[in-house]
Amino acid sequence: MDSLDFKVGELLKEIILDDSAIETLDRAVSSVADAIESIPEQLVSADAAPKFVADLGVPTDKKLSFTFKSPESIQVGGSHSIRSVAKPDINVDLLVRMPKECFHEKDYLNHRYHAKRLLYLRVIEKSLTTCPVVRKIGWSSFQNEARKPVLIVFPVVKSAELSDFFIRIIPTATSLFSISKLSLTRNNVRAFTQECGQTQATPKYNSSILEDMFLEENSEFVRKAFHEWKSLKEALLLLKVWARNRSSIYTHNCLNGYLIAVILSYLTVESGGNLITKSMNRMQIFRVTLKFIATSNLMGKGLCLQPRGQCNKSKEDMNQFLQSFDIIFLDSSCSFNLFFRLTRTAFEELRDEASWMLSSIDKCRGGGFEEVFLTKVDFTAKFDSCLRINLKGNSKICSSNYCMDDECWRISEKDVHSLLQQGLTDRARFVRVIWRSTPSDWNVEDGFSNFGNEPMLVGVLVSSQEKSFRVVDIGPNPENKEEVMKFRKFWGEKAELRRFRDGTIAESTVWECEPWARHLIIKRICEYLFAKHFLLTKDDVVHIVDQLDFCLKLSGKDPESSSGALLEAFELLSKRLRLLEEIPLRISSVQPLDPALRHTSVFPPQPHPLAYEKGVNKKPSKLATTSIQSLDVMIQLEGSGNWPVDRVAIEKTKSAFLLKIGESLQEHSGALCIATKDEVNVLMSGYSFCLRIMHEKGLNMLRNQGGSDKIKVTSSVDKELLIRSQHSSMINGLHGRYPTYGPVVRLAKRWVSAHLFSSFLAEEAIELVVAYLFLKPFPFHAPCSRVTGFLRFLRMLSNYDWAFSPLIVDINEDFTPKDEKEIDENFMLSRKSCEENAQNVEPAMFLAAPYDKASEAWTRSSPNRSVLKRISSYAQSSADLLTNLILHGADGPYTWECLFRTPLNTYDAVVLLHHNKLSNPQHLLFPAEMNCGKQVIRGKASKDFQPYMILGGGVQSLEDARNKVMVNFDPTRCFLEDLKREFPNTFKVWHDSLGGDAIGLTWEKKDSRKRSRDGEDASRTETTDALKRVGEVGKGLVKSVHLFKVPRR
Amino acid sequence: MGKDKKVGKAAQGTTKSLPKLTKKKLKLEEDPDSGNQTAGGASTEAENNLRILKGKKVWKAAKGTSKLLVKLRKKKLKLEEDPSFDDQTVEGASTEAKNNLRILKEHKKNKAKPMEKKGKLSKRKKGGEDNKSFTSNGGQHLNKDDHVFDLINSGQTSENGSVEVKEQSETVGSSGVEEACIGKRIKTKKLKRVGKSKRSDHVSEKKVQLEKLAEVDSEKVDEISSVDEDCTRGMKKWLINYKESRQGLKILQQRIDEFITAYEAQQEQERREREAIAAEGGWTVVVHHKGRKKTTDSESGITVGSVAQAAVLDNMARKKNKEVALDFYRFKKQEAQRSEVMLLQSKFEQDKKRIQQLRAARKFRPY
Repeated sequence: MDSLDFKVGELLKEIILDDSAIETLDRAVSSVADAIESIPEQLVSADAAPKFVADLGVPTDKKLSFTFKSPESIQVGGSHSIRSVAKPDINVDLLVRMPKECFHEKDYLNHRYHAKRLLYLRVIEKSLTTCPVVRKIGWSSFQNEARKPVLIVFPVVKSAELSDFFIRIIPTATSLFSISKLSLTRNNVRAFTQECGQTQATPKYNSSILEDMFLEENSEFVRKAFHEWKSLKEALLLLKVWARNRSSIYTHNCLNGYLIAVILSYLTVESGGNLITKSMNRMQIFRVTLKFIATSNLMGKGLCLQPRGQCNKSKEDMNQFLQSFDIIFLDSSCSFNLFFRLTRTAFEELRDEASWMLSSIDKCRGGGFEEVFLTKVDFTAKFDSCLRINLKGNSKICSSNYCMDDECWRISEKDVHSLLQQGLTDRARFVRVIWRSTPSDWNVEDGFSNFGNEPMLVGVLVSSQEKSFRVVDIGPNPENKEEVMKFRKFWGEKAELRRFRDGTIAESTVWECEPWARHLIIKRICEYLFAKHFLLTKDDVVHIVDQLDFCLKLSGKDPESSSGALLEAFELLSKRLRLLEEIPLRISSVQPLDPALRHTSVFPPQPHPLAYEKGVNKKPSKLATTSIQSLDVMIQLEGSGNWPVDRVAIEKTKSAFLLKIGESLQEHSGALCIATKDEVNVLMSGYSFCLRIMHEKGLNMLRNQGGSDKIKVTSSVDKELLIRSQHSSMINGLHGRYPTYGPVVRLAKRWVSAHLFSSFLAEEAIELVVAYLFLKPFPFHAPCSRVTGFLRFLRMLSNYDWAFSPLIVDINEDFTPKDEKEIDENFMLSRKSCEENAQNVEPAMFLAAPYDKASEAWTRSSPNRSVLKRISSYAQSSADLLTNLILHGADGPYTWECLFRTPLNTYDAVVLLHHNKLSNPQHLLFPAEMNCGKQVIRGKASKDFQPYMILGGGVQSLEDARNKVMVNFDPTRCFLEDLKREFPNTFKVWHDSLGGDAIGLTWEKKDSRKRSRDGEDASRTETTDALKRVGEVGKGLVKSVHLFKVPRR
Repeated sequence: MGKDKKVGKAAQGTTKSLPKLTKKKLKLEEDPDSGNQTAGGASTEAENNLRILKGKKVWKAAKGTSKLLVKLRKKKLKLEEDPSFDDQTVEGASTEAKNNLRILKEHKKNKAKPMEKKGKLSKRKKGGEDNKSFTSNGGQHLNKDDHVFDLINSGQTSENGSVEVKEQSETVGSSGVEEACIGKRIKTKKLKRVGKSKRSDHVSEKKVQLEKLAEVDSEKVDEISSVDEDCTRGMKKWLINYKESRQGLKILQQRIDEFITAYEAQQEQERREREAIAAEGGWTVVVHHKGRKKTTDSESGITVGSVAQAAVLDNMARKKNKEVALDFYRFKKQEAQRSEVMLLQSKFEQDKKRIQQLRAARKFRPY
């Protein structure tokens, strides 16, 4: 059996209702239907729901009163009628045909039909409240259309699986009115006029009534198509799952389950070209349907359920439709457009989704099952930036009536969309506006007053870095008066006449800002436009762009902004190195190794006032950090046969070379050289560089040294350098292709270290995982904003099937099938041990990169399975919080900061450090707080180390200060090293490499051999003693040690 | 018995932390004839010491006591030889301690911290820690012999809250007690104690509960000592290490030069030895070099002469071509086919296994 087929089968099992459940459903439905049928005749008037009627704008006169009669027919419609209800949304549509006697001939005018429709439902509601089979009754709207409420009935059901099950009671109006009266060109809402007083056509309003009239007929059509066709039903379920995971297309102005069923049944009939045949299986039907959606010409000329010959519509009629609606799909009666709610943008999005899905299926491993069916493509993860707009009580919306031809909420959706489209021009590839205006607990007695309380959601897909974040928008030429007027009107005071470098003069808008704040331009534009055109304040518009920037900034500025100077310094260094002549071998290449040199360091070092060459007069700042972070740089020398063979001798020779290099740099350029026996640091242009030599022979030696097993164990310095340089250049290339890559990696790294995973997840591993998000973004497009990229990173960490699939990072798509096979084999080899011992899988996180097909470089020994599990669950909760923050905003204590605030009581013991003794106290995000656990020991801060030093003015004092500078000195790292040495197997150490002031400890499982009868007490003493020793090891840095849990032995 | 003694000493601090009553009780149980007086005397002495200490500045006092302790230790040795002098000597010691402290007071005025004392102190501290850790291990080890240590162990847990200085002073005081114990131990027979151990276990259980309560109450937490004085660990050590490893380019260069000279000398010697062996036999193996001059050194595999890269690549490419095609023989072809089938089969098996794993993992719920 095919693995995809199997997965799909399992998926279907998860969502299909079993027979007994269906039976219970049927019983509940028929009892409700019986209850409705037995409602006695009674007089109804507008008093039953005065507010609703008033909000519709219908005068409460005699015309609204009618005698309620039990419905002509009650039948099950929708998904249950074709037995394709998909869990977890279990509901049944009950189509209730309202009798003709309740309506007048002209009730289609001025919303009278809608008012009466509600009054009819009110009677049903009243009688059902007293009915014993009904548990609860609520209201909702049909496809988010406020004037068409539906009754939600929760029957009494015993089964727990069906506890949320409800019945939607949908009134239908089969053949109530004459179709010709409701044709597109007619005006049926008299108040809907143009400025000159002439009435306008009301196609939306007419369609709203027509929909009710043809609901049963179309439902019957669908039922016929699905009759006794298992694979078609299954395909429908799959499509539903697919669409439901995409919240922006499964919505009121795009797709719903009913429309999917209609499309499917259309494809089975002759008019749809019989694209689906009985011989197809479910996945084939799924693909065919997606392909149809992706390629069909619904927008251009419209479709019709009826075959061409039988459709009585003339060309002019069709044109009429095309003018009134964006998308046309005529129903079986040929007079009603099934897609009348679809907007053009919604359909474009749908089409894009479908075609993107088809390519995902082809390009992803294992047929893209996860990407297509399991990954949530919701608003937050899909769009690059989301806006939440609070329009409640906005004068622009409340000024008009709620409903004319269209409803005011839909109109404002349209307005906002066109405003943004006009304002953002080609900065945005796509703008989507959705306003779920129906309140979740609507009561029709309140009318429409609570509609639109929820904020409107806007999603923006950014087109490209250069376009989207450009500073100047060029408008029309001043000679073109008309255009200028329009431009000025739109932009207001922001518009200015400018003369450009190429001599052109044009109206333009300028959004000046710092280079690192370019990603905020779109936000500024949106805020400006909303303030100008919708009179919205900044509080009403929440644009999700920069909410996470707080954790990357240093003193209000992104440290990345100085990376230009850093790269310049590096260039200068490599130039100087290459020009050196005193050393016996020439330097053939200089390559960056440090993340700061590829824009992926959370805090790239800032120019240090004491790290300039002698003679360079930089005006020094008052304060400088004592310790300088050094950046690794790899050097290759030209080849020579005189190298020694012995490994130790090679290393010694290397340092001799480095010392020589350092010395001559010091002599020639005045750079300061600080060296130990293991590393040589050169301080120049404000930065410190740590030089390393890569010697090719070292690599060859390793290869010569025998079998494949040995290579795995020994990892030489040269091998490590080679891999790091390959990784570095690969990531550098990626940063060039995707400018957002850097910020996303930085956020990801910040998150990982904030949750104390630094010692388990290598920086490079994080870079690879994020790289995958950009290279294989399915089912999304590559992220263009940091928040979205970060959210996807979190979701990926939590959802990726690490146990069963390798993560293949294919930078330039240069993996051949052979390479992939090799990776697969490596992966299977690593998972072989899994069969015997599920706990002991190495590497738990299999990351294959072009330079490392066996995942040996970064994740070979850590994280192990249990740590990875912990990381995933942290990522899961952070992702949930982030989603919630984007959609609903900060709620109480759960703010944006919480994403990076880690709970400390999950460790067995916690060591708190004096935060003013960290090497970079300014990197600390939040000082750790400790209010539980037992304090074991506390200590004073050392007076010998100060992270900052004050610089005096004089040259002499500057020299002194220069001698005090410490390169790569990090007390925390020293502490961790000492801990590891003193307690090799006692505990796992969780820490934040970016400068956190808390270190978590968890006990390693001990062997039970040493078990003694004094049990708990002794172990408690032992633990406290151990923890005291921990404090001693870090004296001067450790503030206190807290114990939470004694190890269980 | 030697081990016992050590443990006993180590336990000094810990025994003290038990409330006096139980201590007495314990003594009584152990040896009702002789211990009574000694224990009582010792405890009062400890109290005295404490009182004194409370008045002084903590650090200085600690130093004083530590010095005192050294003296006491010396005396202890004597005492062990002659246990009859117990009470007097201890008393004498405590007066001495008082004297010492007085002297220290004067010292304080000078504010010059005598380095000697510091050194002693740290030594003492280290020793104390070593002892402590030894206790827990040793205690377990010696369980069979001596139930006292059950008590000691449990007592240690309670100590967490107590201030270190106090502990030290207690050490001084309890030395007398401990000596008494040692004295007793020699006399008492193992058999006698077996029955008692149960009782004391019971007592210790109660104690633990009490002490746990005390833990919650006590706000006092141990403090890491001598933050900026101790060069063996912590910030000070790191700073020193940092300084020491950066002595300047010259010295580093010199070191490397030294290494290289030594290395070369070693290599040279090895070579000479080899030659000597060859020379000894009077024979040298002459190898016939066929064809062109070798470009690689036979020993290291290092390329000596230069070769054009293109030529090498070309050469290598040609070499590949010369390899016999895999399906030259029919049986090879068949073998290949068979192995492919096998591969497919194994892949199928793997797929099946994976599916089973997936089923177990249940990752199909789309919501």
